[in-house]
Amino acid sequence: MKQDFLKFPLHLIVRPFDGFWDMKYESKGKLKVALLIVLALILTTILQKQFAGFLVNMVDPRSLNSLDDLEFTILPFLLFCIANWSITTLMEGEGKFKEIVMAAGYALLPIVLINLPMTFISRFMTQEETAFYYLLNSISSIWFLVLLFVGIMTVHQYTPAKTVLTMVLTVVAMGFVVFIATLAFSLGSQLYWFIYDVYREIIFRT
Amino acid sequence: MQLKRVLLLVAIISLVASIGIPAASAATPYEAYTYDYYGDSSPLPAPYVPDTAITGASLGVGDFKEPSDMYVTPNNTTYILDSGNARIIVLDADMHVNHIIKTFTNNGKEDGFAAPQGLFVSDKNELYVADTDNGRVVVLSEKGDLIRIIANPKSDILPAGFKFVPLKVTVDSADRVFVIARGVFEGIMQFDDKNNFMGYVGTINVSPTVWDRLWKSLSTKAQKAQMQLFIPTEFSNVDIDSKGFVYATAVDITSSTPIKRLNPSGDDVLKRLGYWDVKGDIRFRMFGNNSGPSKFTDIKVLGGGMYVALDSNRARLFTYNDEGDLLYAFGGRGNQLGVFNTPVAVEKIGDKLAVLDSGKKNIVIFRPTKFGTLVGQATTEHYNGNDDVAVTIWSDVLRLNTNYEIAYLGIGKSLLMQKNNEKAMEYFKLGMSRKNFSVAYKRYRREVLKEQFGTFMTVVLALIIAFIAYRVARLVIRRRAVKHEAGLS
Repeated sequence: MKQDFLKFPLHLIVRPFDGFWDMKYESKGKLKVALLIVLALILTTILQKQFAGFLVNMVDPRSLNSLDDLEFTILPFLLFCIANWSITTLMEGEGKFKEIVMAAGYALLPIVLINLPMTFISRFMTQEETAFYYLLNSISSIWFLVLLFVGIMTVHQYTPAKTVLTMVLTVVAMGFVVFIATLAFSLGSQLYWFIYDVYREIIFRT
Repeated sequence: MQLKRVLLLVAIISLVASIGIPAASAATPYEAYTYDYYGDSSPLPAPYVPDTAITGASLGVGDFKEPSDMYVTPNNTTYILDSGNARIIVLDADMHVNHIIKTFTNNGKEDGFAAPQGLFVSDKNELYVADTDNGRVVVLSEKGDLIRIIANPKSDILPAGFKFVPLKVTVDSADRVFVIARGVFEGIMQFDDKNNFMGYVGTINVSPTVWDRLWKSLSTKAQKAQMQLFIPTEFSNVDIDSKGFVYATAVDITSSTPIKRLNPSGDDVLKRLGYWDVKGDIRFRMFGNNSGPSKFTDIKVLGGGMYVALDSNRARLFTYNDEGDLLYAFGGRGNQLGVFNTPVAVEKIGDKLAVLDSGKKNIVIFRPTKFGTLVGQATTEHYNGNDDVAVTIWSDVLRLNTNYEIAYLGIGKSLLMQKNNEKAMEYFKLGMSRKNFSVAYKRYRREVLKEQFGTFMTVVLALIIAFIAYRVARLVIRRRAVKHEAGLS
């Protein structure tokens, strides 16, 4: 239990090559741990928007919506995983979908670990000290990107160059998915309104 | 049952009672507002309500014809420049006609105005009239006798064949005359008391955008010749404050600084410390009706660091304090009393405001409400440094409008002066000023740390001792256990 939830993730974020290897080949990674990290990230985002110090909290309180935070974290996460899986399947990637989800999930851990305490610390900062807040938040984001890169590379057994290529293609694929989803939604709603109109026409004629 | 009846009775009585009482707020044909921290317009109680309208007919001098400017002296004498009729109507403090200036004696001959556009009355009660179509600025005494004429400026920096078409005029205490002339893009023309042209002040700089430059570098010479020139916009009006700073407005739809405060050497020193640009409306439609940024036609210094600018686009009045916070905006287009058709000039008569409407040919007098008066007083007190007085007034303002960020800031600043840092933090948070909050918080944190330093160190020391004791105890127990296992004891 302690091994799965604490030791292994912490080991992974500081020794990513080793960690992701163990995750894939020693099956030390657990899907539920990865998903738990995503949940923790959502919680972090919500807490950060709500409780970060006044000096760094630029969010309009009227626009706070935890459900939005939920879907704007989960949807991009899933979108990335699906897009990456679609691309890498075609490009001889060795990773399974589950492993992609795990790699992306574990990579998010630094954001949770840094941003959550920073939210608390930011309440005791003056304007001059907020630079540290932004610095540490940037570090966590960069750390996340590095981990994601290494994770995808290890999971699919790619070379670095190929990883960069697939990452770019993944972003393009994400764009495609969003575009097609919007298109489908728009068509669907038009179909719905068409049927609704026909229905109304019929009941008003009779 | 009994209770129900009583309740019903109470309801009926309160309904009936409410009919008798007139609504507490005076009805205005416009909604006053200011912009909050998030850039949304937040409604305010009306700061001014329309009182009366004065027309030429009501004064008994015949209708105004294209009136273009007016001026009110500190002792409330009103001068109306009735351009179409080429006359100046002088009203006394009770708004009755005192006399009319239509002609003056120039070199023994009768002389008059031709479509004059600007009027200013100096501290010495001398009238400065921008006699536009005659191409001169006429200086008259209070009675209407000619003192001097500024015409045909001569200077090396003026092009040959320069035509002097003055539009607006203002004068400082040293009788230096600032003239806005048509077709002059270099700035405001400055004349000394001997009618000599001294040069320009307040030149508006134009800087072409990156896109403009790129486009220009790609186009041919013939295309370049066809292109619009990058010339700065002209100023639209000027006023002067008691310290001799010139307030000028420019109609420049791309600029974020259409209002300028020029120091004697011509630099713009207007404070723009508010959340938003000092440019009137910051949110507006880009196309269609009522679109585009505010276009200021007049500006008036109100005292206490406040100034009011008149927007001819949406016919609104914007009042700012000395730090560039929008205190309130009100007005609009329409036919009722209090909204305008073509507002051209704004003046201050005592604590009232007067707006000259060229389209409706009248002057609307606005009377300040309790809210407007309190805001004005508090701003003035704060400007003069009497922060403790300002605080009590700001508290009254907040009672009338709890969404007024400037009031929170005003109270916060004075609390900060009084070293009441914790309370100041609260008010700065409500006023959404992060900079001031940070200052207050820094002091508060230092205070708390100083106070709690003893406790803090005690706790830390206690924890360290406890930790050492724990380690020692563990060590002892283990050793004993080892000895025990070894069967030594």
